[in-house]
This record gives sequence, C-alpha cells and structure tokens, in this order.
Amino acid sequence: MKSQQALKILLGIYIFIFFAYLFGPLVIMSITAFNSAEFPSITPWECFSFRWFNEGKIAYDGQHLAGLATDWRLHEGLITSLKIGLGVVLLAVPIGLSAALVLTQVHSRLRTAFYSLSIMPVLFPGVIIGISTVVLWDRIATMGGGGLATELGRNGIFLTILAQACFISTYCFLIFVARLQRFDQTQEEAALDLGANQTQVFFKILIPYMMPAIASSCVIAFLASFENYNTTVFSILSDQTLTTVIASKVRLGISPAISSLALVIILITLTVTIIYEVLRRREDKKKKELEAEALFAQTLDSRLKKAKTKGLKIPKSIFGILFVVVVCIFGFNKMVEKGMYGSTCIAASEKEKKSNFADQLKLLQKNAEKASQQSSENGDVGEKKEFDSIFGDPNLFKDFGGFDSKTQDQD
Amino acid sequence: MKYFFNKNGPLISTYLIIAISFWFVFLIIIPQLYMFDLSFRPNIPSLLRGGPDDVYTLIHYKHFLFGSQTSGESYNYVDVGVFFNTLLIAILITLINLCFCYPIAFYIAKVASPNTARLLIVSLIIPFWINELLRSFALRILFAGEGFINNALLKLGLIDNGINFIAMDVALYTGLNYAYILLMIFPLYNAMETLDKNQLEAAEDLGSSMLKTHFRIVIPHAKAGIASGCTMVFMLTAGALATPVVLSSPNTFWFTQLIYQWFNMNDNWPRGAAYSVVLLSVSVVFVLLMMRIFKVKIGEIVR
Amino acid sequence: MSADVELQNVSVSFGNFYAAKNVSVKIEKGEFFSFLGPSGCGKTTLLRAISGFSEPSDGQILIGNQDMAGIGPNKRPTSLIFQNLALFPLMSVADNIAFSLEVRGTGKVQRRKRADELLELVALSGQGDKKVHELSGGQRQRVAIARALAIEPEVLLLDEPLSALDLKLRQKMRTELREIQKRVGITFIYITHDQGEALTMSDRIAVMNQGELEQIGSCHNVYESPRTPFVATFVGENNAFYGTVSAVDGDMVNVLADGHNFLAKAGDLGEGKKYTFKKDDKVIMFVRPESIFLKDQNNQADNIFTAGFKAIEFEGNLKNIYMSIDGKQNVRCSVSNAVDTTDLSNSKNVELKFSSRDAVVLPVGPLAVD
Ligand SMILES: Nc1ncnc2c1ncn2[C@@H]1O[C@H](COP(=O)(O)OP(=O)(O)OP(=O)(O)O)[C@@H](O)[C@H]1O
Ligand SMILES: [Mg+2]
Repeated sequence: MKSQQALKILLGIYIFIFFAYLFGPLVIMSITAFNSAEFPSITPWECFSFRWFNEGKIAYDGQHLAGLATDWRLHEGLITSLKIGLGVVLLAVPIGLSAALVLTQVHSRLRTAFYSLSIMPVLFPGVIIGISTVVLWDRIATMGGGGLATELGRNGIFLTILAQACFISTYCFLIFVARLQRFDQTQEEAALDLGANQTQVFFKILIPYMMPAIASSCVIAFLASFENYNTTVFSILSDQTLTTVIASKVRLGISPAISSLALVIILITLTVTIIYEVLRRREDKKKKELEAEALFAQTLDSRLKKAKTKGLKIPKSIFGILFVVVVCIFGFNKMVEKGMYGSTCIAASEKEKKSNFADQLKLLQKNAEKASQQSSENGDVGEKKEFDSIFGDPNLFKDFGGFDSKTQDQD
Repeated sequence: MKYFFNKNGPLISTYLIIAISFWFVFLIIIPQLYMFDLSFRPNIPSLLRGGPDDVYTLIHYKHFLFGSQTSGESYNYVDVGVFFNTLLIAILITLINLCFCYPIAFYIAKVASPNTARLLIVSLIIPFWINELLRSFALRILFAGEGFINNALLKLGLIDNGINFIAMDVALYTGLNYAYILLMIFPLYNAMETLDKNQLEAAEDLGSSMLKTHFRIVIPHAKAGIASGCTMVFMLTAGALATPVVLSSPNTFWFTQLIYQWFNMNDNWPRGAAYSVVLLSVSVVFVLLMMRIFKVKIGEIVR
Repeated sequence: MSADVELQNVSVSFGNFYAAKNVSVKIEKGEFFSFLGPSGCGKTTLLRAISGFSEPSDGQILIGNQDMAGIGPNKRPTSLIFQNLALFPLMSVADNIAFSLEVRGTGKVQRRKRADELLELVALSGQGDKKVHELSGGQRQRVAIARALAIEPEVLLLDEPLSALDLKLRQKMRTELREIQKRVGITFIYITHDQGEALTMSDRIAVMNQGELEQIGSCHNVYESPRTPFVATFVGENNAFYGTVSAVDGDMVNVLADGHNFLAKAGDLGEGKKYTFKKDDKVIMFVRPESIFLKDQNNQADNIFTAGFKAIEFEGNLKNIYMSIDGKQNVRCSVSNAVDTTDLSNSKNVELKFSSRDAVVLPVGPLAVD
C-alpha cells in the first residue's frame, strides 16, 4: 500500500512537470508581451506596457520595431491566410465528404486501396506536398502560354489552396468516415421507399446527419490551413501568409510583438475552447435529463423522477478564475505603486538605455581602434551572431517586417 | 458502375466522381509523379523544358551522395551527414516522446476520473492549436542568450557565462520534442482507452507486478496506438521545417532546410525535387517498417 | 387502392448462395399475408426484392399484374416498415410522417394536415411536434406505420416490426396492426419468426425454410395439416414419433413406433390430396401436446400407450408434462391447469391416449431445430 501511495505521488509530480513543460513556455512568452523592453524577456523587467500590442517602438538605435496594431505585413498576411483558409474549406470539405461516402460503397480489395490512397497525403512530409504542387503548376504555367493556366500557376494563393487541400481533405475524410460508421443505412432506404429520389435522399437525410461532422471539419480544415507553414512556405511563391510573415520575423530577430501576437492567438483559442466545452456540457446535461424523462415516461417509476437539485450550484472553476483575477489586480496595483507602469517609467528606462548605448558605442570604437592597432581578431559581440540570417540568405531582408509604412519598403 | 449510379442518382454521382478524381489525380498522384520525374532532369530554365536538353539524368542523386565534381571529397559528407543526423535525431525524439507520453496517456485513459480526464484532454488540445512557429518562438525566448533560462541560471549563480543553447542545438531538439508531443499522446490515449479496466485488475489480482502488467497487457493492447504515434511523430519530426527555421543554429541544418535551400535560394528545383524524393522514400520505408514491426494495417496508423 | 402481389419462381442469390429459391406465391388484394420462418431463412431478402431494393436473380415479381423488373423502390406502390424502423432521428414526428409528401413537393399546410390525420389513425394525436427519441418504443412503432401509410401504398411490407418490443406491448400491437389493416384495407405482407404473431394476425401464412417455401395456407391449415416435418415442428409444438408403416387403410396409416402400434391419418399434400404410403416406409408421426390426454380424462381416443414420467412444468393456464417411452422417445403432453396431476409424481408410468384424427403421418424429413 505504501509503495502505491508513493507511486501515486510520483505520478502526480510527473503530470505536473509535464503540464508545466507544455504550458510554461507559452505562459512566459505571454508575459514577455507586456515587457516594454525590445527583447522579449522577463527578468530584466523594464516596464509594464501594452506597446507591443499597439504602436511598437523606435529603438534606441533608430530601428522601428512595429507593434501588433501597426504592422501592415502581419495584417496583409492575415488577410491572405483568411482567404486561403476559406478556399481550403470550400475545396477540402466537399472532397473529404465525397471520399468518405464512396468508401462506404466500395468493397474488399478496392476498399483497402481506396482508403490507403486517401490517407496517403497525411503521411507525406508537408514540404513535399508544397514542392510537388509548385513544380507541377510551374510546368503548367509555362505550357499555358500566358493564358488562364499561367495566371493560376503563378498565383501563390491558388497554389497554396491546392497544396493544403491535398492533405487537409484527408483530415476531413477521416472525420466523415468516423461519423458515417454510425450512420444507419436503412434510413436512406426508408427515404427511397417513401418515394424520394437519390438526390433528395442526399440532401434531406445524409447531409442533415453529417452536419455536425461538416461543421467540425470546416473548423479543423480552416485551423489546419491557418497554421500551416511547411507546405505554404513553398507554394505561396511571392505572397505572404500570416505564418510566413511570422517565420521571416522570427528569423530576423525576436521581437515582443510576436509574443503579443501569440498571446492574442492563445486567448482566442482559450475562449473558443471554453465556449465549446461549456456548450458541450450543457448538451450532455440536457441529453441526460431527456433520457431520464423518457425512462420515467416508459416505466412510470417514481423513484426515477428525482427531485431536481435546487438552488444555484456554483462550479468550482469559478474560484480558480476569481483567484487569477485577484492576483492579476493585486500584481498590477503593485506595479503601478512601484512606478513600473506608464509613460514615465518607459521614458526613464529609455534614457538610461540611451546612455548605456552611447557608452557601449564608445567602448566599441575604442575596441575597434585597439583591434586595428593590434591587427588581431576580436571576439564576436555576444548575441548578435545568432540573429543573423540562418541561411545567409540575401533575400531575407526583403522579408523584414519592421517598417511602419509601405513607402519605406518600396526602395 | 451502373450500381453506383443507381445508388447515388446522376447528380450526386457526378459530384462524387469529380471530387474524388480531382483529389486523387490532380492533388495527389500527378504532382508526386511530376516531382519524381523532375528529380531526374537537369536544371534548365523552364522555357527549355521538353527541348533537346531535357534528358534524364542521375546528376542530382549523384550530387546528394558524392557532392559536386569540383569538390575534392569522395562523398558529399555535408548533405549525407545532415540526412543521417536528421533521421537519427528524429528517431531519438520519437523514442523519447514515447517514453515521455506513455505515463500521461495511461493516466488519462485508465487512472483519472472521467471529468479529470476530460479536463486534461482539453488542456492538452489548447497548446496544440497554437501555431508551431509560435510555440517554437516561445522556446526561443527561453533559450536565447539573454533568455529566461540563462538569466535564471545566472541569477542563481549556477553558471557564470550564458550558455548558447541554440548553438548547442539543445533548443532545436527540445523544440522538436515539444512540437509534436501531442501527436504521441492522443493515439496512445485512444488505444489505451479501449482497454478493459477489469483486465488490469485481474492481472493485479493474479499477482502480476506493475511493470509486468504493462508489458504483458497494456503495451500489446496499445500496439496500434504506439505504432500510430511513433509514425506520426517521426514523419512530422523528419519533415519539420517551422521548428528548425526558428530554433536551429546557423551551422546546423535540418534536411528540410537543405531542400528549402535548393529550392528557394539556389533556384535548383530538380535538385530540390531529388532531395524531396529521398525524404519521401525514407518516410515510405519508415511507414512500411512500422506496419511490419507492429503488424498493423495502414488504416490503424492514421486515424 | 390495394393490389395483389404475385411472385413467380423468384430466386435471390448472393454469389453462389441462394437466400431465396424458386419462391412462387400469389397474395390477394387486401390480404394480411405472413411469411414465417426461422432467423436467416431469407425473409428479409424476399421482402427487399418485393420492395425493389434488390433485383431477383431469377423469376418475376408482379404487383397489380405489372412486372416490377427495373422499377426502383421509390417508384413501386409498396411501402416498407424496416426491422429497425429507420425513423429519421433529426426530424419531428410529423416531418417523419409527411416525408413522402415533402419529397413530392406537397405544400407545408397540406403536409401537416395529412400528418395529423395519420397520427390520429395510429392513436398518437397531438404528438406531431415531438422528436423521435422522445417517444417510447410502441409509439415509434406507430409512427413508422403512419409514415409508411402516408404515401398511400397499395401494399405495405412489414419486416418483423414488433421484434424490438417487450411481450405485453407486442401483444397489444398485434391487435392494433390488424385493426389498422382492416381500416385502410390494403394488402399487408408481414414477416416474422414468431409463429404466435403470424397465427394471430394473418389471413394466410407462408412457412419458409432455408430460402424455400414449405407450405402456404390459412392459419388453421398450417397448424392442423402441416405438409412437412419442418412445418409441423416450427409452427406450434409437436411430438415426433419416428417409426415404420405396418399397414395402410385408405387415409389411415398404422405406424409401428417404440414398440407401440399407432393409428394415424396420412398427411395432407394440399389441393385435397394426401400422402400415400407403403408398408415399411420410414415415417414420422406428429401428435400435438394438447392432443395427448391422460387416460382418466374423458376424451375419445383410439391410441393408448404408457410412458415414464419425468417432470412437470407449470405454465399458468397449462401444465406441461414431460415423459419418455423406454427412456428414448420423449413425449410431451399439455393439460389444462384444472386437471388433477398430484399422483403423477409418484407413479413411474403414465397411461396416455390420443385420437387418430389428431395424429399426422409424414415422410421423414428435417425438423425445425430449436
Ligand atoms: N448482402 C448479403 N450478402 C450475402 N449474404 C446475405 C446478404 N444479405 C443476406 N444474406 C444472407 O441471406 C440469408 C437470408 O438473410 P435474411 O436477412 O433474408 O434473413 P431473415 O430471414 O430476414 O432473418 P432474420 O429473421 O434474422 O431477420 C442469410 O443467410 C444471410 O446471411
Ligand atoms: Mg430479417
């Protein structure tokens, strides 16, 4: 018994560590979004600010670091991503549905082959799907001789929709297959028997039944498209989606604006998940009540008609939320007290850094002089190296997303 | 075929046939075949394709193995090295993930109460929906030279100088592990969930030790889940691009980055295609291997 | 609006396997006709061929003297009630019932009117807005019937529609079904493996075994004059005595079985003909348990024999007495609960009797195994 107790405790610790590992980085990243420093960090905490959600800042070396609200590259990428997501949903969901339907109608040998082919795309590395789409359509575009084919073949958005639909259709397919397995085929026959033609059966019986699966595959398809990078980075050609913008930003140097973007996404995800979960629970509860009622109606067993639990039951999670809110308010108050929030704080730290920077510059100059005098190599300057382009790619700077206005970028 | 039309009616049959053939032929088969074909072609401007210069050649595969003719090396140590490094690390990460996730999956599937399990699953899904790039970015913040971990260690006095995690590839490997961990948990969980709890209790009753119970009962039962999880994690790790882009050090390459380079920077598409074919064949071999080892069907791997 | 249904040498095969073999039957207009047979004998297969979900591999199906070959289920004047009902779970009860009108483009108001009419017919007035899963089993049953009647079919096909209900409800629904059939006056083709169901509701019964028809006839005919050992044992209970013919006298046959010489009538062959036997033919003699009496009961009987008592079983209105002749031939006898049987348990041997008119002799053949 003793050893079992110990085992349980160990398991508990393990699970805690696991979840800490899973969430820790995300939490820390979220917090860095509020630090006014231009390097996303917690420990040298400058000031609490929302600047990375809004305007960003002009760095002390004159660089403009855009915030979330002012970064037009992100905005354009977002719009492209939304377009692609919509296109993928429109393409992948009908494809997945049709494949799932046909799977129920083919038999034995053919069925295995059909199924294997359908799930193949998720076993292909994403980069390969992107590449193969691009090379094929480049060829088509060349042969198209300037017509529609050429236009489509050189359109990054179109290619990305095709490439993503290739494997996202499989996700939809799998969702539909799971739902169809529970479909009672005699319903279709009953409808036929009652005089419906096949098209009517499809729209009046099958589609309503598949509706929940259609809805969830739309969501899944959209999300999968939205967050895809590996395929998109090849097929998007000269356009930019949200993910490729993020990628090029991250490669250039890490800015808290990305943290703030991540936080926004995390919050959206959290909200959607919580709403979904609450709805689901409510549904479950309703179903249970209905079942109990039906059972009661059938058996008229009064024991089953339990008195409904009276009074307002407060879910335990409320306490957790309250606790978090209280801590946040308390911490914020402390910060205001200590003068770590607001423009004065930012101005102060800015000034300090500027003088630091001037010192450093002087030091560097001195070093450089020394170095030239001694004609010997000087060690690299800490961080700088890893922020350089990873591939030594000269094109990378075209991706630089820091500028505020388009005019600046056009030169 | 006549039966098919009878069953679905003319309108729906047409839709089904068009949708499926579009998917199979235009999205899956032709692009792959064309890429395969292209990998045997010389690198010439696309206008010359189909011309007299467009002959079959093995030059790109040769380059992968032996390097360019001008280099003095007898083998292409760089590319082949990257290739094997990628495979090795992907396998290691898969195994680590398996060990790491097994207890969690088991806990959620068989130990936790239904409500707790549900809560845990939901909280597992949340980070999964956040972009891989952003998750890698979070790790980048932790591992950067002036990042959270270094600062924390410095403050605690455990180290004197910052550790360059990124150059040491620690960041990359952690990131790859972090990125696909959930794709290991869910197949394992799904497989274990169907295990009858009575079997576990019976085994315990018969005096089987906990380890033995797992090896004799749980693992055989979760076989398909293990195969599925391992395949997914391996494929995604070996084919990862987002995480290496964010977290790899300037002098470490992931194999996908080589492909990317041939494609976008050096504009040598046929060579990129050849490297892609190499990656694809490894993936196919790996899937077949998993199917063999675990004696599962392909349908059990992908769910 | 009722039609007759004629099957001419209908066979349905799945690959090499014949689920229905050479079935020929003519079902009259307005008749309540049942196919009765054990599970897996091909009843559903036959019904699906009639309703058009599968084409017979051989033979013809005529409904109202019209050949149905190549006509789809949605074009036939039949309507099928499925074994699992196949109600549409996402629609309300009224929408379920009016589905056939909806697909024909009938207006909403009219649909609702018709649905209400039909709900009244099946005694479910005012339940039209409920969802299907809010109904009890018996109510669902009725919705299925109403839905099938909504297209005003000429023939209603029912595939074991009561099998999912509990015993009480099943008995209630039997009478209700019969009443509905009388009211709408169309042909009902009913499928069941429950002989009680078939006997209480049907005008005529066809007994099926392994895809073939064994006998067609009225309930009385099937019960009292079984044509094959299978029918004799599948419809109702029966004692089977294996023996040989020792003498033949017109329709009466002497059978030597288990050391006794019984007198019994030769089985019916249909159309007024009877089986003819010769001396030393191997035969089975069937006697129903309720036709065997204890010797002290006041009944006419020309066959008397003794059997060793084994057990007695109380079944409410009846008692079943189990006995055996020489420990080999089992005999079962059902007597009214009023009969005094207290001394039976003590005495080893029981004297029994039955009338030769209640005993049927048939050639040897397979029995229904239960
Ligand atoms: N699609 C099919 N393919 C192959 N064999 C089939 C098919 N449908 C039915 N059978 C076979 O045909 C035989 C008759 O089946 P059927 O469904 O008609 O039985 P049933 O009399 O309705 O039985 P039950 O009372 O159990 O419903 C069975 O042996 C069954 O296995
Ligand atoms: Mg049946």
